[in-house]
Amino acid sequence: MTFERAISSPWRSAGQGLRESLSLVAGYAPIAFSFGVIAVQSGLTPWQAVGISLLVFAGASQFVMVAMMAAGSGGLTVLSAVLMMNLRHLFYGPALATRLVALPRRLVPWLAFGLTDEVFATAMAKGASRPLEPAWCLGLALGAYLAWVGGTALGAGMGAGWTNDGGYVAQALDFVLPALFLALLAQAWRRARWPVVTVAAGATLLGMVWWPGHVAMLVGMLAGALVGSRRARTARAREAMT
Amino acid sequence: MTWWVIVIAAGVGTFLIRYLPLLSGTRLVRGEGRLSRFLGALGLAAIAALIVLSVSDLWWQAPHWRGGVRLALGATAVLLVQRLTPNVGLATLVGAGVYGAAGWALAD
Repeated sequence: MTFERAISSPWRSAGQGLRESLSLVAGYAPIAFSFGVIAVQSGLTPWQAVGISLLVFAGASQFVMVAMMAAGSGGLTVLSAVLMMNLRHLFYGPALATRLVALPRRLVPWLAFGLTDEVFATAMAKGASRPLEPAWCLGLALGAYLAWVGGTALGAGMGAGWTNDGGYVAQALDFVLPALFLALLAQAWRRARWPVVTVAAGATLLGMVWWPGHVAMLVGMLAGALVGSRRARTARAREAMT
Repeated sequence: MTWWVIVIAAGVGTFLIRYLPLLSGTRLVRGEGRLSRFLGALGLAAIAALIVLSVSDLWWQAPHWRGGVRLALGATAVLLVQRLTPNVGLATLVGAGVYGAAGWALAD
């Protein structure tokens, strides 16, 4: 470990994180592209579409933001909807901090800015097997951010002229994010953690009957983590061996 | 409220939601108590919740047995590749490819 740490400079870790963001890039680019198209079709200029992705960098809430603005909702209504949707991110920072080898204060703002659902999930899956370098997380987030902003710019550039033909590639791209999350689950899987996964998935599924997706996800996530925090000491000992 | 003010406020608000808890995270890291275990389990729970959310979005686009078969084939491909080569990127792309190919093969 000491030798490994000695040869891994922050730049090298960041480069590795950037390389490992490729699966995120593949997932983000088509969604960001759709966002750019929809934003322009809703009456925004391409610069406004790219500006939202540059400043907000929070997938689902950006779609809601554009839809509400196009529908003529008031500024405060739009703002509170966006912030409510992103409240689940409150828990990501402290959880990520438990997986980092160190958390230099000067890096905290940069790490925080890039902490989307997908970046968090990828980092936590990787962090299940080894402690994470903050620079690796920054590289990962940078790849995701560039794909998000770049995809938005492309979509906004194509604008109203683009229509989804539903061909093979478009269909394959629809499955990129579910496939990524599944691969991350397989990577982070430990047998003793099945109650966390089952409760989180079940509570999310059940929650979707009554609430919108982002609320159901928050409820499922908290329920799963709560089960994880209550596990008996024996379960934790067993997990350490699996 | 002008358009740019809303966007900037949304950006700043989202950033603070992520930033302030991470800032306090350094103190929580050292703990071994229930909160620490809660945060440790949060990642896996979030991944499980995201799978449910993204798969159900796909399912409701075309709720039909063909959609179920495509999802099953895509998921199997992801898990198989991830098992054989612990490479998340490759597993993701192969899974997406199989899902797309299954859609083409099962089309009316």
